[in-house]
Amino acid sequence: MEQVTFKVQRYDPDKDIKPYIQEFVVPSKRGMTVLQGLIYIKENIDNTLSFRSSCRMGICGSCGVLVNSFPMLACHTPLEELHTDRVEVRSLPNFPIVRDVVADLTPLFEKHRSVKPYVIRPDADHARRPEATLLQSKEELEGYVQFAYCVKCGLCMAACPTVATDAHFLGPQPLGQAYRYCSDRRDQGDNDRFKVADTRHGVWLCHLAGACSEACPKGVDPAFAIQLLKRTMVAKSLGLRKPRKPALVVEIPPATKPKIEVPEFTAGGR
Amino acid sequence: MDMKRARARTGHLPNRLGVKGWAWAGRYTLERYLYTLHRVTGLGLLLYLSMHLIVNGLRLGGEEPWTDAMGVLGSGGFKAGEYLVVAAFTIHALNGGRLILQHLAFTFGKPKPPVYPYVDVMRRRRSLTWIVLGLIAVGLVFALIEFVV
Amino acid sequence: MRETRLKILQYVTGAGLFIIVGYHLWFSQMGGDEATSWESVTERAQSAGWLVFYILLLVFVIYHGLHGLRTIVLELSLPDSAARTLDWVLLAVGLAILGYAAYIPISAF
Repeated sequence: MEQVTFKVQRYDPDKDIKPYIQEFVVPSKRGMTVLQGLIYIKENIDNTLSFRSSCRMGICGSCGVLVNSFPMLACHTPLEELHTDRVEVRSLPNFPIVRDVVADLTPLFEKHRSVKPYVIRPDADHARRPEATLLQSKEELEGYVQFAYCVKCGLCMAACPTVATDAHFLGPQPLGQAYRYCSDRRDQGDNDRFKVADTRHGVWLCHLAGACSEACPKGVDPAFAIQLLKRTMVAKSLGLRKPRKPALVVEIPPATKPKIEVPEFTAGGR
Repeated sequence: MDMKRARARTGHLPNRLGVKGWAWAGRYTLERYLYTLHRVTGLGLLLYLSMHLIVNGLRLGGEEPWTDAMGVLGSGGFKAGEYLVVAAFTIHALNGGRLILQHLAFTFGKPKPPVYPYVDVMRRRRSLTWIVLGLIAVGLVFALIEFVV
Repeated sequence: MRETRLKILQYVTGAGLFIIVGYHLWFSQMGGDEATSWESVTERAQSAGWLVFYILLLVFVIYHGLHGLRTIVLELSLPDSAARTLDWVLLAVGLAILGYAAYIPISAF
């Protein structure tokens, strides 16, 4: 493939009633990603094109777009993997369009916030010593670490068939994160999260289509987390949930001598 | 929410897929298609249930209307419809069994740290889905033989 | 945990229907025209076992079907006030259908 035709969604809220598609021919080279194609268009063909990106290495989750009808991170998608010389780029469905292929992820962040995605410790001991460490074993860490890789890119929400119609449905990302914290033994806020998940538009509107996990670029597998959340909630509802001892609060171990000398100008060197 | 109201609220153009998002499975794989099939068969069975209850009500009228109705329902077109009902039940029941097991994460094992290339648990442990599809195929063929012979 | 309890009932009725409707279909299909003949129907109507079977079938199928329908309607972005109304409407419809449908085998018993 010496050149690729990019069919890019365009939409200017001040001028257009609805989005339309504009074609650009982009010279391609081995290893080139969809994001590099968009950058080429902006730098060389049409500088009014709007898209969002930051890290260019699949970490920040900014560049989620719909590539040939599948939600993907533009920076994480080499053109070769698409096996075609025609690439259609649209903004993520199920999110409002800000401009061109830029989606407004505010609904995702609001729903994410609603599940209290942080460690909740009501005990006085931890409140007295917030700098202390909460102990957890390697096995306990492995029980949720997969779900902690979420970069909040919104691809799972764009893939979910329930989010496609239901504006109130929490969606795969917030529900997956609800389980991530509920399964963390350092946390004691699971009852707060169950209240959020046990609503008419909560966890039970997930029907395990699996599209969210298929779209996830980080292997987070939100569908798996949601099914585990369902199991936990069913067990709790039936009175079968085993009581869990909260993680112990311990003092931070005294500083150990680093194996490599820390340079003077760094924080560790001071 | 209609487009004008949504745009007035957020200032941005709404882009929700709507009911098309339920029906169109596009480039997603097996379980996404089973999701659509489960919904379609469920609604179909609900529609059939309402008609079935009306027909059953004919029993209250005595032998004649009942026998007449059974005569009509035993004819060719209705027989094909009856096969569709059995097929819908077979699909909905067996896939529903899979969903109950998987909704409670019984067949998924434990979470583990993701290693690239990532494979989610539904694809990693797909044997239950294949077994269910096999049973559905057997059920549909068996029912077809019963109806034809 | 109201929604969770409703969903557990959906699972229980679903698993029950797998057996009950499966047997119902098997019986009516395998029995051929004989199974739906007036004589056969009136004979079954005299049996307490069949009466319990049909009532159980009705309760399970009406709950399972209407709960499934509720889920689909809720997904149309139904706000909470409308969803509450939907719950009451479906409850009333379910009870009305159950009353009508259960009257048929009970009256014949």
